[in-house]
Amino acid sequence: MTIFLSSLGFGLVTASVLAIAAVGFTLQFGVTDVLNLAYGAIMIAGAFVAYVVNQAGLSVWVGLVVAVIACSLGSVLLNSGVYTPFQRRGTSPITLVIVSLGMTLIIEFGVQALAGGTAVSYTMSQGTTFHAGGLILSVVQLVVIALSIVVMLGVHGLLRYTRLGKAMRATAANKSLARNCGIRTDRVITITWALTGGLCGLAGVVFAMDSGSFDATATDLFLILILAAVFLGGPGQAYGAMLGAVVIGLATEISAAYITADYKYVVAFVALLIMLGVRPTGLLGARA
Amino acid sequence: MSAELALPGLPLRAEKVTAGYGGDPVIRDITLSADPGEVVSLVGPNGSGKSTLLKSMAGVVHVSSGTVRVGDRDLTNWAPEEIARAAVGYVPQVDDIFSPLSVRENLEMGGYLLRRSQVAGRVERVLAIFPRLGVMLSRSAGKLSGGERKMLAMGRVLMLDPGLFLLDEPTANLAPIVATALLTEHVRQLADSGAAVLIVEQRAKAVLAISDRSYVLGGGEVRMQGTPAELSGRPDFVESFLGGRGAAAAPSGDA
Amino acid sequence: MNAFYLINLLVYAAVDAMACLGLSQQFGVAGVTNFGFIIFQAAGGYAAAVLALPHDSANGGFQSYIGGLNLPFPLPWIGAAVVGGLIAVPFTFLVGRRLRGDFAAVGLLVTAVLLNLLVTNYRPLLNGSAGLSLIPTPLHGDNVFSVQTAGYQWVFTVAAIVLALAVYVFVRRITGSPYGRSLRAMRDNDVVADSLGKNLLSLRTAMLVTGGAIAGLSGGILVTYITTWSPAAWGYAETVVLFAAVIIGGAGNHLGAILGAILVPVGFEEITRFIPTSNSLPPNLIPSLQWVAIGLLIVIFLWLRPQGILPERKRVIRLPAARAPAARMAAPPGGAAAAAVPSPRPPAPQAHEQPPAAPQDRPVVLETVDVTREFGGVQAVAGVSIQVRKGTLTGLIGPNGAGKSTLLAMLAGTLPVTSGKIIYEGRDITGVPAFRRARLGLVRTFQLASEFKRLTVMENLLSAVPGNRGDTFRGSLLGKRYWQADETAAIARAEAILERFGLEQFANHYAGDLSGGQRRLVEIMRALMAEPATLLLDEPMAGVHPNLARRIGNELVALCEEGMTILMVEHELAIMDEFCDPVVVMAEGAVLAEGTMEQLRGRSEVVEAYLVG
Repeated sequence: MTIFLSSLGFGLVTASVLAIAAVGFTLQFGVTDVLNLAYGAIMIAGAFVAYVVNQAGLSVWVGLVVAVIACSLGSVLLNSGVYTPFQRRGTSPITLVIVSLGMTLIIEFGVQALAGGTAVSYTMSQGTTFHAGGLILSVVQLVVIALSIVVMLGVHGLLRYTRLGKAMRATAANKSLARNCGIRTDRVITITWALTGGLCGLAGVVFAMDSGSFDATATDLFLILILAAVFLGGPGQAYGAMLGAVVIGLATEISAAYITADYKYVVAFVALLIMLGVRPTGLLGARA
Repeated sequence: MSAELALPGLPLRAEKVTAGYGGDPVIRDITLSADPGEVVSLVGPNGSGKSTLLKSMAGVVHVSSGTVRVGDRDLTNWAPEEIARAAVGYVPQVDDIFSPLSVRENLEMGGYLLRRSQVAGRVERVLAIFPRLGVMLSRSAGKLSGGERKMLAMGRVLMLDPGLFLLDEPTANLAPIVATALLTEHVRQLADSGAAVLIVEQRAKAVLAISDRSYVLGGGEVRMQGTPAELSGRPDFVESFLGGRGAAAAPSGDA
Repeated sequence: MNAFYLINLLVYAAVDAMACLGLSQQFGVAGVTNFGFIIFQAAGGYAAAVLALPHDSANGGFQSYIGGLNLPFPLPWIGAAVVGGLIAVPFTFLVGRRLRGDFAAVGLLVTAVLLNLLVTNYRPLLNGSAGLSLIPTPLHGDNVFSVQTAGYQWVFTVAAIVLALAVYVFVRRITGSPYGRSLRAMRDNDVVADSLGKNLLSLRTAMLVTGGAIAGLSGGILVTYITTWSPAAWGYAETVVLFAAVIIGGAGNHLGAILGAILVPVGFEEITRFIPTSNSLPPNLIPSLQWVAIGLLIVIFLWLRPQGILPERKRVIRLPAARAPAARMAAPPGGAAAAAVPSPRPPAPQAHEQPPAAPQDRPVVLETVDVTREFGGVQAVAGVSIQVRKGTLTGLIGPNGAGKSTLLAMLAGTLPVTSGKIIYEGRDITGVPAFRRARLGLVRTFQLASEFKRLTVMENLLSAVPGNRGDTFRGSLLGKRYWQADETAAIARAEAILERFGLEQFANHYAGDLSGGQRRLVEIMRALMAEPATLLLDEPMAGVHPNLARRIGNELVALCEEGMTILMVEHELAIMDEFCDPVVVMAEGAVLAEGTMEQLRGRSEVVEAYLVG
């Protein structure tokens, strides 16, 4: 039972990091129709920005704020400077995937060139550990979970109750009709990338916190977890991404406890392949 | 029940509009007008360019020459969202609703440009016109029947309270009874409340019955225009739809 | 220059060139985007290794792997190619699905990573992350060659280069044949290729297996050169490098693939040798910058020059020099082709012994029995039963949304039937896929632009010819001598059709470069090249100048007099008037009436349908 509970604890943390990341990814896809595979690279870039701030003597939480801003700007540049011009030209979706892979190489190995290949970690205290009904979690882990809940609620509030959120949903559902309603979709798309870019940076930093030590290639496999969560819930569906994150996060950690830890990602990969083969619109998406 | 317009109707003047999808133009040198209080219809056989003409006025298709004026503004080649902000309401023929959103949310999107306080009142007014929508406010729009979809599409554009309506085959795929009702009860009302209405329709007879004036298109040009009485009196009117010796007159000067 | 350095360079160049040729064939020529490509090379490498290695317990016992058959050269290399090809078979399920292109690409990428993960973690399979080492080099046991000598190394190098050249010849042969043309047609527009009789599943499978075998062989050669093989050598990044090489060199051009291989995988490695190392630089800097550079090259090339440095060559088909008029009338060689050569002018109708039977008395060639098409709760076609009779030019008209195009698509097999039957020449073809219907002589055209853009007009026409001996995998390998006769006959037919429709000077233009009306003609001509017995035309006159439309109409009538049956959906009712008998009117998914246009105009329900909608 303790094994189950401790893996449940890990699962909750993984699910939290995954939720923040997956929601950002899926909203980007929903509003632009691009699978931004460079998302993982931007995450780790954010992690390193926080690291640099941390090394300069400031708290890693300050670094987190800087990372969020940096990744927000970087993501807007990525969409406006790279994806949108290609899309305007009528580039096919497959070619866009190749473009995003190219951007992944540039960003990820650009970070590696600057930061070196060795693994680093933040200078921070994990804080005291809490025991709650068999679960063992440190303060930092609890903060990550709390952050994730705040983000989920924030995204929910944004989409459901704000004018911007409605414009985002309209743009994702039917861009031309949204324009006929007077929605300035170009502006909405830019703002969406700014917000989701910020989520990407946040996800990168908490990922790095949760991993302990990390290097520039640390998010390669994690990106696939993100894809699994996104496709499980349905690409473009924010609530689907949240659901997918919980399922994938818990499934990978709990299975790790019972199967060899090496195979924990396999569960997610297989889930992703099954979803692609059987129901690409996801569990919450409309029937294709 | 007529909806009192917050804005006055806007007259439409299109002059010598030539437009297409890149490559050869689909419509050439089209001049037409629609005034507040009028229902002006665009009819004609398939491929005559009716939809393209409407789209060029809604900012969806690029106009290569000519002007489109609404009210006192030249809107030629404006972005669709700016045209909407100029109080022009466009209902496309397909992709006319937000399928993943609920009926209520569709209406709210239509009222995107309104102040928060106005939205609820406007929704009430639309529901008074389309009571059927009132019972399915939380239903997902993708699950509506054909007729309900078209009502929702109309309701969505009504939220904007446009001074000029551009309607692209609003009765497509509707059963004849429903189509007639939509035209006589709702489309006619729009004009009667003061807006200008330009409507493209396949059902020529039905739309002529509610039109003040009509343009018959063919081969990307205006072949005939006039009041319904004038047009149905012409012997070549039917032929322009069904072919035959009279209408076989080829487009002039086609090199 | 150090001999071993040169040998190293050449072996890697040969191996990379081979892999890139396999990818170029799959991706550049056939349009099969396989982001799991590296798996094929990996599989080949492992296969060669476990075939060449002795049993794992015998080999010092510190490696654990399957196989270990200790086979002599050249069996490991043959095994590598075979395994590479076999591994491709499960991939056909992933690639053939009706999944969005980018989603499928992600799925394949994930598969590659997943397999890498499994091999890394399941040690008994292939020794996990440590990989296999001490792999025996070819002929190591014989004392003929001592492995360490330069002589041995040079022989190995030459063998690798020779094999790479053999692969080059192999893929060129495939691509230059009528089969290769069909592959390129599939790449440009797979739905249309399907409707012209190409078996897409068979083509894609063949390409995956071929590319897999080539990649497998390259892996086998590499493995027996470096004598080790581990998962680190074949991550997803390696696939990206190969794609970069093919894109930069020129997708669809095999010399471009070789150039790309030299520039990217080889070039990047070599450049680093010339950069001075310095202790002040972080050790990872150069490799990191290499990756950054590759990423930049991918994006820059896709933006500025997506066709690559060496773009796909235009295949100009030299038409025979001016023929004497007599030769034009002579039947060209090649049985079936002769019968369908259209004469330059419509034949005078006096050739018949009896007057042709009235339309309604002719035998029924194509009919639908209560056919319905329902989708999303809407009935586009509701219980339609029509009969198309032999030798008629039957028109199908109706207002928008009447279901005409849907019905035509169901007749052609492009759309499935919800209920009802379709009977062609007495046979129930309801379940028969589109490409087989085309082979039975039931051919369709499309409403929207559907020419094969990156093929010339002549190639577009030739792609539709059925029964060309060079249009099979085996035929393509047997070479020009095998299929030249059929090809010449097809070219002659194509030439005649081009003249008939007045487009002969555009024969060697890319079909995508023609004007709208001209492309419509190419579509019709191409359909005629498919030797249809029954032709289904979807709005062939759309956007066509009235004079040209009239000429097309005359040609169609002539074809009917020669025995073809044509069903034509059209909006231009003047065309119906002049050429079609009978004409079927549809409205709201059902058949309303049938007759000549004169008769139909007199019927009130038809007038109502058009005016009321």
